[in-house]
Amino acid sequence: MTVTERPAVAEVSAPIRTRVPPWRNPWRRPYVLATITWVYILWSLVPVLIAIQFSFNDGRSRSTWQGFSRQWYCCNEGSVFEDPSMFHALRNSLILGIATVIVATPLGVALAMGLTRWRSRASAVANGISLVPLVTPEIVVGSALYLVFVNLYHFIPLGRPAMLLGHVTFSVSYVLVIVRSRLLSIGGEYEEAARDLGANSLQAIRTILLPLLMPAVFASAMIVFATSLDDFVVSQFLFGSAENETVPILLYNAVRAAPTPALNALASILLVGSFLALILALVVLRGRRRTGEESALETLADWG
Amino acid sequence: MPDKPSGHDRATRRLWPALALPGTFWLIALFVVPFYAVMAVAFSGRINIFNEPIPAWNPLDWEFSSFGTVISDSFTPSGAYHEVWVRTAIYTFWALVICVAIGYPVAYYTARLAGRRRGLILALILAPWWINYITRMLAWVNLLQDDGYVNKALGLVGIPPHSWLSGSSFTVVWALAYGYLPYFIIPLFASLDRIDQRLLEASRDLGVGALRTFSHITLPLSRMGLVTAMVITALPMAGDYYTNTIVSGSPNTNMVGNQIELFLLEGPQKNIGAGLVLLLSLVLMFFMFYYLILTQRASREAAR
Amino acid sequence: MTSDPNDPARLPPRPRPQLARRDLLRGGVWLTVGLGTAPLLAACGNGSSGQAANGGAPYELARPDRPVTLAIKDSNPPIADGLDPETGGTFNILNYADYMAPGVMKDFGKEHNVSVQVTPYNNYDEMLAKIRQPGESFDLVFPGPSVLSKMVYADLVQPLNHSYVPNLRNVWPEFQDPWYDRGAHYTVPYTIYGTGVMYRADRVSSVPEVGYDLLWDQQYSGKVYVLDDRQEAIAMSLLRNKITDDINTSNADDVKRATDSLIQLISLVKVKTDINAYSEVPEGTATVHQCWSGDVIAGQYYLPHGQTPEVLGYWRPQAASDYVIGSDNIAIPKSAKKPVLAHMLINDLLDNKIGLRNFGWNGYQPPLTKLSATYLTDQGYIPKNLANSVVLRSDFAKGLTFYEVSPSTEALWQTNWARFKAGA
Repeated sequence: MTVTERPAVAEVSAPIRTRVPPWRNPWRRPYVLATITWVYILWSLVPVLIAIQFSFNDGRSRSTWQGFSRQWYCCNEGSVFEDPSMFHALRNSLILGIATVIVATPLGVALAMGLTRWRSRASAVANGISLVPLVTPEIVVGSALYLVFVNLYHFIPLGRPAMLLGHVTFSVSYVLVIVRSRLLSIGGEYEEAARDLGANSLQAIRTILLPLLMPAVFASAMIVFATSLDDFVVSQFLFGSAENETVPILLYNAVRAAPTPALNALASILLVGSFLALILALVVLRGRRRTGEESALETLADWG
Repeated sequence: MPDKPSGHDRATRRLWPALALPGTFWLIALFVVPFYAVMAVAFSGRINIFNEPIPAWNPLDWEFSSFGTVISDSFTPSGAYHEVWVRTAIYTFWALVICVAIGYPVAYYTARLAGRRRGLILALILAPWWINYITRMLAWVNLLQDDGYVNKALGLVGIPPHSWLSGSSFTVVWALAYGYLPYFIIPLFASLDRIDQRLLEASRDLGVGALRTFSHITLPLSRMGLVTAMVITALPMAGDYYTNTIVSGSPNTNMVGNQIELFLLEGPQKNIGAGLVLLLSLVLMFFMFYYLILTQRASREAAR
Repeated sequence: MTSDPNDPARLPPRPRPQLARRDLLRGGVWLTVGLGTAPLLAACGNGSSGQAANGGAPYELARPDRPVTLAIKDSNPPIADGLDPETGGTFNILNYADYMAPGVMKDFGKEHNVSVQVTPYNNYDEMLAKIRQPGESFDLVFPGPSVLSKMVYADLVQPLNHSYVPNLRNVWPEFQDPWYDRGAHYTVPYTIYGTGVMYRADRVSSVPEVGYDLLWDQQYSGKVYVLDDRQEAIAMSLLRNKITDDINTSNADDVKRATDSLIQLISLVKVKTDINAYSEVPEGTATVHQCWSGDVIAGQYYLPHGQTPEVLGYWRPQAASDYVIGSDNIAIPKSAKKPVLAHMLINDLLDNKIGLRNFGWNGYQPPLTKLSATYLTDQGYIPKNLANSVVLRSDFAKGLTFYEVSPSTEALWQTNWARFKAGA
């Protein structure tokens, strides 16, 4: 990482203020690490910026810049808003994302409350089941759902209903993890106090617990929305026909066929949509740094 | 606390299970049952005129012959699927090595040394979370084309152009690493961030060099975070099939996920596809259990 | 054709015990049926002589010398005469990608106030998987003769009502009464094509006598594609390696050898699979691409600015009797929600003007009598250097065709194809 290993010469390092080799000086500035970090950030984001740039290309190429144009966004044949399939996919993605949030969030919040406060053997089992989707590869979730819808749950057709059920299934676990970490940090004292003051349990939940949970609920809703927009595998297994195609499916199929910069335009629009959701989340959560994503991941890290 | 006696005791006791019920039911119906469907298809002994298996819902009807073929074709060196398993293992391994080599320094720097810029760096590292995965791959497809920016840049320093997208394992491994790095960095960041600053300061004040501080304090304390990061990136990577399709598309680079997709979505012999899903789950479950044992030991040690 | 794959003498038992075991395990002989597929169950009696001739398939396998009339069942009647077309909502087409002109679809959609959508597939396996999804409904589908009988048998398509399709008289006479569907009960023809190799003339210096060898040429490594279609790819290998010219073979050894040769392509040239020769070759991603002749004609529209069709080339076997030819048909799925509209679109596509417009976009010839090869060439649709991509009626009379084979033969091909896809 920094320098090659050297055998330690002495157990105790040289006294401070004498000249020490840079890798032994605990106070030196971490230039190497800083460089790695910034190079990584450039590497991770610059390709995307270039892809956005090509969505404005004045030509059919996605690798040679031919001047600026908005033709792939609007009003040219084959642009995002003229190509019905692209516009349709964008709509499908948004509808599915919103519907997933609406179903998964309450379901996950209730599950988190129930599983955190209810201590029994059954809850331990339920707890275990609810975390498995988080670490199951999407292809396993997707193919299992596909096989069950095709072979057993005939009353749920492939397409939007099946996709919604699929997206909610992997989203519930996210909500659970995020909300539960918040619940654990709140502790039971507030509800206890509320009940001592005469509130029943439901009232305690409504007036005390839910408001305290709100940031976590909101953060998980945003994450669910973003994951739903991002999902490719589960959607691909369950989408049925082109009527229910989402943006990732369309992008995937088109990359393999005859792509135009309109694809980049579509991807850019989706990207802007996700960033709006992110900014919304940041505005709402401002000043509460440790509630959102981080705590979710900390919980993930703590899991077990 | 629920176990303290209180006036609403009984109602409370019923409330929490009631809250947990819908979510639990959901996960049973859409996670546990689908998995059973995978088994019913994998262990089916009957097929119809489309060569599609007829699911055997009754365990007494299970036939293990086709699953046996899947296993022998996967684990004998001359078997039809042996190569995809080997490839999956190799790709996942190298992509993971890249993730550790890049992800650890970045997470470490961000969590411990970034100082004033920490918020900015964190936001930039999180940004890919909000960019569609397929979009990020699409971006690289643009760059790596024969006349793309990568080859043009190489041409400037006199390196002849290379066909990056023509079935190259190298490209696939880097694409996997690129795709999954954000998911690797964040849990690691969370765990590095939680290390008590005072420990490091103490070490520093004692004049211990940066490398020794790292290897004696930081690394052991972040071990679980590292393992978590590796688990939550390696498992999905092992089930990936779209990354290599987008950046290569050659059977030369196909992984287990591609075989599953072939049998379940494109082909009729779904019993083989389901068998591969089952086998993949079993293999990954092995790693899951190892991880669980590791985390439990770690938490026991921490408690001591 | 040297031998009939379904000659009873050639069927069971398989020549190699190991393969026989595998077939057994794969379920090739467990040809039993159940769960909601009642019509299949009904016909699953054992061992009548007719079935033996069909390799275990409970329906007749059509051959040019053994034409099949697909019965119209009482349980699956055609729509009544004189119905009004449906309107509003979506019209769902199950088809290859880029196989119907967007303009044709758009105009049709405008005329009938529906939004036309295409659900794409890469090959018939995928098409069958899609059309059989429970609860799914499609209004139009494009099956070839090699999958038709079983689709009819399983009630996946509905019979046509010819009163809505007067334009059927525009097609070649042989397609008004084809061997795979006497009387055109369920299908009308859509396009005809041959299978050859498309290449970049500016990068390929010389074309060998057997053009398939281009695919095995290491100098094009990384830029070599075969069709993502198990029948086309394995048949190509059968022919190139002179294993057999029976491209419907049920001989496990032949199929295995052909597949092994395809597998060589993986290490030799890092072969890729897709069905997009029409864009890959003109854009330069592919140098050599096994393709359908229609892709060649369409390819000229995908050339980057400033390039002329001269950079493209097409190889096809000299003799018509070595040429793999095929036709795609149009049929209406049983699940269609807009069957009247589907009949109307079929009739439109058989209209000379609309057929020409569609051809002008997708490059695939409709077998319409008026749009003869000479007419299309004279009209300038086909560049001179690609003239050999036009399918002639004589090609069609003598060429090799994929027939419908028994489910067990199909399983054999699928299993080998999966072996190739695994990159083993």
